Amino acid sequence: MVTKRFEPKILAFLCNWCSYAGADLAGVSRLQYPFNIRVIRVMCSGSVSPHHILHAFQKGADGVLIGGCHIGDCHYLKGNYMTMKRVAFLKELLNFTGYEPERLRLEWISAAEGRKFARTVRDFTEQIRALGPAISFDAVPLALNFG
Amino acid sequence: MNTRIKQILEEGAVDKVLAYKAVQGFLLPWMFTRENAAELEPWEPNGARYPVVKLLLAEVRKNPHANLGILVRGCEERAVRELVKWRQINPQRLVIVGQACDENLAEHCECWKPYPDQLDYGTACEPIRESRRVAELDAMKREVRLDWWLKQLNRCIHCHGCRDVCPVCFCTECSLEHVDLIPAGKLPPDNSFHLVRAVHMAGRCIDCGLCEEVCPARIPLRALYKKVNDLVEGIFAYKTGGPGDKSPFTLLGEELVLPLNDR
Repeated sequence: MVTKRFEPKILAFLCNWCSYAGADLAGVSRLQYPFNIRVIRVMCSGSVSPHHILHAFQKGADGVLIGGCHIGDCHYLKGNYMTMKRVAFLKELLNFTGYEPERLRLEWISAAEGRKFARTVRDFTEQIRALGPAISFDAVPLALNFG
Repeated sequence: MNTRIKQILEEGAVDKVLAYKAVQGFLLPWMFTRENAAELEPWEPNGARYPVVKLLLAEVRKNPHANLGILVRGCEERAVRELVKWRQINPQRLVIVGQACDENLAEHCECWKPYPDQLDYGTACEPIRESRRVAELDAMKREVRLDWWLKQLNRCIHCHGCRDVCPVCFCTECSLEHVDLIPAGKLPPDNSFHLVRAVHMAGRCIDCGLCEEVCPARIPLRALYKKVNDLVEGIFAYKTGGPGDKSPFTLLGEELVLPLNDR
């Protein structure tokens, strides 16, 4: 019997000006990358609230990828600095509360980097596949197990 | 309390001072003006803990042009500084009078600075450099830590007490009440409730511990936020509640130390 390979669900927040255009370029250049990624286009990676990332995990995403412009290239000048601060903090926080910080990834992908986009998605998908399904982020009722 | 506070009231430096008054043996937060300044009692070491900075903020919002005074502990002074950095309080209209905490309280809080810089009453005692509880959690394996946290967080009854008592939770619109992010009526609430709050506490939590004391489910929130503070210090080299006018999340850009080696 053939066991089914685990196909992770990956949510990607891509910024309108760089990473989304990078993904577009990967498409028109006919670059192959896994289908596990679901893309949400946002105006700036800095507009991705930690709530949205946590909410994605809560709703069963196995990994979250955030794509933004390279530092210095932000369409809004300094939005991606905020992303950088937030993601650095959030990863550590996830680790402290027992979740795997590797499931969250920040990548700078410019509009010219279709190859980098495809490579990142391939890498990340393989990494998440190796980690396995995410531990449920949902609160598990432990009614009889209060200790 | 009577000396310094009476003095600033009579000098006219302030119109109102938020301090304490003993009512039937309990110290309660009390607003003093020139009219009732005679009711001020001599200061004694005490363990009274109230969200006085929250009360101060309510007063500031009601009457933004009044000159106010406040009697603070170490943590409350830090809260005032954070509110100044987040542009909620005008420091020109505020006079701080400080009191030190005793050793028992400092030990209970594992407080890293149990006295304000502006110290008028009491003597500063030794700070506690490292939190035993955070060290215990850090020593756990990640899977064990997850189980431990789930067990704690699952007791949450979604009462918003931790937020309501928090002196640095000053937003008038709260994302924890956003029903699309945190579904209402679900018990225990999604774990993201506590993580979202922890994210918001980054660069804001001044480690007063009122959230934990007020929690009816006795969730060890203080351990979580103490770690949040450690992380902020580690990543941004920023000690929350310190002097200065910058905080890592109040400004856009690269001015603060950033983890540039990360990429």
